[in-house]
Amino acid sequence: MIAQIELTGVNKHYGNYHALKDIDLSIEKGSFTALVGPSGCGKSTLLRSLAGLESISTGTLKIAGDVMNKVPPRKRDVAMVFQSYALYPHMTVEENLTYSLRVRGMPKTEARKAAAEVARTTGLSHLLDRYPRELSGGQRQRVAMSRAIIRHPKAFLFDEPLSNLDAALRVHMRKEIRALHDRLGATSVYVTHDQIEAMTMADRVVVMRAGIIEQQGRPLDLYDKPANKFVAGFIGSPAMNFIPAQGGQDGRSVVLDLGQPQSVDVGYPVQPGRELTVGLRPEHITLAPPDKAMLKVPVAVVESTGAATYLTTATTPELAVVINGRGGTAAGETVGLDFEPAQLHLFDVKTERRI
Amino acid sequence: MRRILSSIRDGHGFDILLVAFPLGFLFLMAGLPLIYNAVMSFQEVDMFSLGTFSRPFVGLKNYRDLFAQPETWPILYNTLVFVVGSIAGQFLIGFGLALFFWVNFPGASWLRGLFLVSWVMPGLVVGAVWNWILSGDFGVLNFLLRESGIISGNIFWRSDPQYSLYAVIIANIWLGTAFNMILLSVGLSAIPGDLYEAAELDGANAWQRFWTITLPMMRSSIGAIIALGLIFTLQQFDLFAAITSGGPNNSSNVTQYWAWELSFRQYDFAKGATISVIMIVFVMFASVVYVRSTRHEVRG
Ligand SMILES: Nc1ncnc2c1ncn2[C@@H]1O[C@H](COP(=O)(O)OP(=O)(O)OP(=O)(O)O)[C@@H](O)[C@H]1O
Ligand SMILES: [Mg+2]
Repeated sequence: MIAQIELTGVNKHYGNYHALKDIDLSIEKGSFTALVGPSGCGKSTLLRSLAGLESISTGTLKIAGDVMNKVPPRKRDVAMVFQSYALYPHMTVEENLTYSLRVRGMPKTEARKAAAEVARTTGLSHLLDRYPRELSGGQRQRVAMSRAIIRHPKAFLFDEPLSNLDAALRVHMRKEIRALHDRLGATSVYVTHDQIEAMTMADRVVVMRAGIIEQQGRPLDLYDKPANKFVAGFIGSPAMNFIPAQGGQDGRSVVLDLGQPQSVDVGYPVQPGRELTVGLRPEHITLAPPDKAMLKVPVAVVESTGAATYLTTATTPELAVVINGRGGTAAGETVGLDFEPAQLHLFDVKTERRI
Repeated sequence: MRRILSSIRDGHGFDILLVAFPLGFLFLMAGLPLIYNAVMSFQEVDMFSLGTFSRPFVGLKNYRDLFAQPETWPILYNTLVFVVGSIAGQFLIGFGLALFFWVNFPGASWLRGLFLVSWVMPGLVVGAVWNWILSGDFGVLNFLLRESGIISGNIFWRSDPQYSLYAVIIANIWLGTAFNMILLSVGLSAIPGDLYEAAELDGANAWQRFWTITLPMMRSSIGAIIALGLIFTLQQFDLFAAITSGGPNNSSNVTQYWAWELSFRQYDFAKGATISVIMIVFVMFASVVYVRSTRHEVRG
């Protein structure tokens, strides 16, 4: 694996606020990496540090093998797509695209040819003479992307580029950005707070919280084996159910506390009496006849989108359940719920780490 | 009647009412005197006909007479020098200061506020202060120039015909710089910061960013400040009254001061009015520039 971007022990302080804490991250050449996390966790700070728009306090940042700590942004050869797009309002689309070429001294005719070519691949050919204010949000987004593409940079940095678009366009652009990435063989770092975007687009997902990388890995690995309760709750939609539990006396089961205790044989050793939090994804719960089911619970809310039905149970803590189709239950009924014991995620109560 | 009332309450009529009020005020307080002034420039006016409106019309005689006077062209030229010199000085220094305070070092906004002091001072007071600074024998300006080796002998700023106009220009630059700086600062801070970040990532150095982002984005602010500067320098009167009184020998006389002199010193109201009309043409031109440049805001 060739690391295109490499961070070792990177810290960032704003005054006495510690925004990035000991970040170690290696981004493979040609990969698509998503940075996700709740608002304020330092995603943008990390991305802007890669671009050089923020300086890092300690640690090393390498891009394509060269140490970049002190290199100004314009010499790093990375391109960024801003959430606000940051298009130059006084320039036409074509001038926006060719700006980076012109400031580097490329002759105008050559730059225009490059712009025409990029515009063709991004479907902007008919808009080259327009000003940014004459474009729709989606078109502006495309211009921002094209402006990055035209330079063939060492890396593309995206800071929530789709958050100003409507839901349908967002889904569409998701695919388009990923296809573009593959076609260019680019290295991309993509910041988003939308875990679905991260899961669907990225080769690697980096989950951050409060300036710390909580876990990084392939999207489905994060889904299947979240390293801690935070990642478990963050990845997946609707969010994972968390149920307080204890290690069973037989040493291989857990006792879920959902009003009344319910023992589940997990098939591997669990320390008896150990305080646990058990995670169970809504989509891993199925409906079963009440008399044969593991759990028998009353239903509080039923919501259906037609394709799927979302149940919320009247238990403490309440459970979210997703079932395919209509489900055929109504609020107030008692239903039986089943799940595979292997689908349970066990976390230590104190450390919140996976067991 | 009811239709009119309801239209005022919730429709078009209200807009018209809102516009009519300031328009009426403007017409009464500015429009009428302006027209009166223009009419007067085509009449023969003396002390005896001053009180009536029906004075003999003389066509363009006032204009012909004016341009036949030997001092007219020099004074028009002085006005040009005064306007161009003042605006250039105010704008360049003001823009420089605005860029300087834009860097936002600790205390920047506080210091910037201090600059406004010059702007709130009455022109006559500013004139008095500059009289001392410019004074030939004991003035601070001469002292500084002498000590730094730029001049060898004292310059009598206010009484030397070669320098008198520049004495007023210097004072006027000082007076107008703060206003330029504030307006340009506002323009600068309205430029979104992410444009600079994008330009920096696109590879532009500081110089290129200034020419390709800052200046074009400031176009409307710059147009507005220069047009306003033209209007303000053309109405600058106090400084002339306080520093040189247009002298010696008209060497620092400009149209706005001359118009007053002709009207209220020599009681040649027709000539005074004639000069005013010529100035109005220039100010109208400046107003058009101002309106156009504020209308063509290039923002997002
Ligand atoms: N210039 C600054 N000065 C001080 N603190 C800052 C500065 N910029 C960011 N921070 C702080 O650093 C933390 C991380 O900010 P950052 O913008 O990276 O968050 P984020 O993960 O991108 O969040 P969001 O999803 O809301 O964009 C926040 O708590 C923020 O308050
Ligand atoms: Mg952010």
